Amino acid sequence: MSAVDPPTLASSETSGRSRRSIMRPDLFQAVLWALILTLCVVPFVLVIVISFGQKIEGAAWAFGFTGANYQRFFVGASWPESTTFLYLNRLWYSVYYAVIAAVLAVLTAFPFTWFMTRMSRAAQSRWLVFLLATLSLSEVFIVMGWDILLSNRSGLPMVLRETGVTDWLKVTGWFDVLREWGMANPRNVKFKTSEFATILTMSYLVWPYAVILLYPALSRLDPSMTEAARTMGAGPWTVMRTVVLPSVRLPLIGTLFLLFVFLLGVYVSVTVFAEPAKQTLAVSVYEAVRGSTLNAPFGAAQAVILLITGGICLWLGQILVNRKGVTA
Amino acid sequence: MDNLTLHKVRKDYGKVRAVEGVDLTFNHGELTALLGPSGCGKTTLLRLIAGLEDPTAGKIMLGPRDLTRQAAHQRKFGMVFQNFALFPHLNVRENVCYALTIAGVPKAQAHETAARLLDLVQLTPFGDRAIGALSGGQRQRVAIARALAQEPEVFLLDEPMSALDANLREAMQVELRMLQQRLGITTVVVTHDQREAMTMADNIVVMSDGRVEQTGAPQDIYHKPGNPFVANFIGRANFFEGVMRGGRITAGSLSLEAGTRKYLDGSPVTVVIRPEKACLDEVMPEGNRVPAEVIFVRDVGPTRDIHLDTPLGPMVVEYAIGEGARAFTRGQKTEVHLPAGGLYIYPSDKARAVA
Repeated sequence: MSAVDPPTLASSETSGRSRRSIMRPDLFQAVLWALILTLCVVPFVLVIVISFGQKIEGAAWAFGFTGANYQRFFVGASWPESTTFLYLNRLWYSVYYAVIAAVLAVLTAFPFTWFMTRMSRAAQSRWLVFLLATLSLSEVFIVMGWDILLSNRSGLPMVLRETGVTDWLKVTGWFDVLREWGMANPRNVKFKTSEFATILTMSYLVWPYAVILLYPALSRLDPSMTEAARTMGAGPWTVMRTVVLPSVRLPLIGTLFLLFVFLLGVYVSVTVFAEPAKQTLAVSVYEAVRGSTLNAPFGAAQAVILLITGGICLWLGQILVNRKGVTA
Repeated sequence: MDNLTLHKVRKDYGKVRAVEGVDLTFNHGELTALLGPSGCGKTTLLRLIAGLEDPTAGKIMLGPRDLTRQAAHQRKFGMVFQNFALFPHLNVRENVCYALTIAGVPKAQAHETAARLLDLVQLTPFGDRAIGALSGGQRQRVAIARALAQEPEVFLLDEPMSALDANLREAMQVELRMLQQRLGITTVVVTHDQREAMTMADNIVVMSDGRVEQTGAPQDIYHKPGNPFVANFIGRANFFEGVMRGGRITAGSLSLEAGTRKYLDGSPVTVVIRPEKACLDEVMPEGNRVPAEVIFVRDVGPTRDIHLDTPLGPMVVEYAIGEGARAFTRGQKTEVHLPAGGLYIYPSDKARAVA
């Protein structure tokens, strides 16, 4: 018996240790899930729940289950007596600004990043440090800078007027074209308020992100692939079109999607540079939750719709990319 | 058909001279191996030929045409890279068709050419495969087929076997050589493997420190090395130092028949003898015998390497194993015969350093 006992004890000890070692990860996982639920899922669920709530005049809001907030978003509060598409219009501008600014940022960041990856390691490091440093600037600070740069009295319009460019534009007829585009008043070129300034600022805001997101893919691209293409008769543009772009297609599209989602929620740039009639849903949500209207359920409904719209756009983009990938 | 000619081609990277005044002619339809140790400038020379680098000085000509300032995409020399550089976003057939597709060749015609080339490299069933699903040997064949699709006048290969395992490398060397002979295309292969160069090439260019040390047919390079570097780099060699006196080499207390009288008396020389030229037979000719002690014996298949300690320094002798072969043991005293005809004699490096 004594010969059998020790192994039994040993095995029970071992199983005890293994139980403890298994339980520890279980506990860790449970804490992790609780954190994820509390910090990520609960706020989303709350927003969805509140979007079905009711505003109480003169007070805050109360839980409920009404579709009035969603109805107001799509056809207006007075439907069916009267119909308004004010918030759908704002949703349109949210998507429009985000798409154009994201595309613009990626289009300009891509060649810059490509040339950066061809530089020496030291030069690449300097650029990356500089770009990472610019990320520390807040949206408010960036918009303030652009606000001064594009302001009618002291910014670029003043420079154009003083250097005679405005007069030249008037003589050549381009001034009228700019007026049609909403980028000139009767006296001078103007950037505030305009779609141009809004998109430009939004694009500038996410440009460093675009470079940093594209950099790993482009720096890892094997130089011998582009050289191989060159030895087969491909000029620089053909190499770019047939080798570089297809090789970094996924990171490129991923960057575009990420910037798009980020730009859907941009607030300060839009409030400063967009005309009141062309403001976005992010501004409207803020106004409803914290601003003048104080209607949390309606703000929550707008936020939910913005979230769903973002999701649908990404899904559609994914379908488009996959289809192109198959045909390529 | 045109030969490819390099006239005093030089390439500097800042203060570093990668290629120094290279004059070479690559005959049409021949396979030339650029052979040398790492960093000797052989890949840079290949890239200069391809147009991927611009020479600092010199001219690159294909027959009467001056290609020196022509871009790589205008030269269209097919090139196989060390890592094959296949396009992962294209399948095998699309990779092979690449040069034709960008040149605007109709799809049907391009696919026909691809089919012919895939047949040539024995990859016909793999046309629709993704690059990631191929083995190393298959990738190399795709890279060869892709480079040949544009029917290049010159075919360049940068260490094409280095990514392959030993067995596959041997097989691919034979296959590549047979393919090159069948197509009769001027081919330049960069390698640091002397065996690869010896078995594949019509001509070998041995390079060191950006310079061409010797050019010639593999057997000429092996049997008539132009200097101690070539003798050492191509095949194995034993070295010792001596001084010429009356047609004999004096090394310490030994005096050996040199077989040549082209050196002045008192000239310090470096003497090279290949392991298979030295003789350890029981019956050996008179003269040029050196006392030796066996310090190590190594069996290498059909031959045996006998490592000796001699008054001339350590020496390795390749001894054929066969009927009546001698047995050698560690510590055994013997004599080694160094036939005058097997000695390569060069001016001593020490003498050159002093000069």
